[in-house]
Amino acid sequence: MRKREVVFLVLFLGLLGAGFALLSYNPVNDHLVEPFTAMVARVSGGMLRLLGQPVAMEGTVIRGPSFAVNIRNGCNGLETLIIFASAVLAFPAPWRSRLIGLVLGSLAIQAINLVRVVALYLTGAYAPSWFDNSHTVVWQTIVILCGVLLWVFWATRFVPRPAPAER
Amino acid sequence: MERVAFARLLARNALLWIVPAAILWLVLTPLYNRYLVATGETLLHLGESPDSTRLYLRDQGVLRITRLDIGGGQSALHEAALSDFHFDWILLATLFLATPGVAMARRLRALAWAALVLLVFHLLLLVFYVESIYATALGDWSARHYGALARNFWGLGKHTLNLPFKFALPFALWAASFWQSFAQPEEAPPAPRKPRRR
Repeated sequence: MRKREVVFLVLFLGLLGAGFALLSYNPVNDHLVEPFTAMVARVSGGMLRLLGQPVAMEGTVIRGPSFAVNIRNGCNGLETLIIFASAVLAFPAPWRSRLIGLVLGSLAIQAINLVRVVALYLTGAYAPSWFDNSHTVVWQTIVILCGVLLWVFWATRFVPRPAPAER
Repeated sequence: MERVAFARLLARNALLWIVPAAILWLVLTPLYNRYLVATGETLLHLGESPDSTRLYLRDQGVLRITRLDIGGGQSALHEAALSDFHFDWILLATLFLATPGVAMARRLRALAWAALVLLVFHLLLLVFYVESIYATALGDWSARHYGALARNFWGLGKHTLNLPFKFALPFALWAASFWQSFAQPEEAPPAPRKPRRR
């Protein structure tokens, strides 16, 4: 393994740990994560209403006539966002490219997560026996895979190639 | 290969590989669960005297945690779905097998090395998971046997391994294995030839 890969991995894992420690810090959780999660619930609930679902939102809970989901940490897209942002910041790239990656990547990840929450609610309401596996295995894998693919797309599309080594 | 084409082909290949990877994971899960339970229990015994932990595998791949010194090992202290510990296999296999522009033999060799790391990681996650239950979820028993530092160590360790690292490790292993495929520098222009002296 070369120096660049090692530096990337060390930075990536360090930023990842710092990001999750920050999310776990109570004041950050109370003043940032919880309101953000409630917003995710409101937007997801609005989308479900557009699809004709009679749902009501209470904080981080989306409640329907026969099923309710409580959106918690791990389901609000922030974990994928931190993995993505850590990879963007750890990758050797100009700050302008990083900024583009962070803005576009955040929007894309939240859009994917919105699809996930809506799909999970519908799974719980209409195929409840599929809900557990769909919640953990299927959608977590899909959302993280999308985050990785977004990062690869960013690293290959928005980051200029490094200059060749002098001969 | 052009870098933009790499991203497009990786996305296409990932769509093609994710279903076979998930099927393979489903097929191997019962065997892998048995490995995790048996090896995890042995590892936990390294920190116990006398050996008290008994881990059982129930139907549907549910892990049952018991201790001989609590209720004679008859009652479950905690139960959890073991698939939650190791479904990141799907992501790992998908990424490694979907990498374009790399010979299959090299992809499989890299996947084998990454799989070894993930095997160890899952054991570590299981040990932290069980210890965090002991340290934080058993009321008076936890308070008697684990101090504040130990509770924080096992709790934070379990949280860190279970959320960020479980999802990020397959990506980190993949990025390290195929770095040259998407981050290679530009080809250097050929050095100018010196004119020959006659």
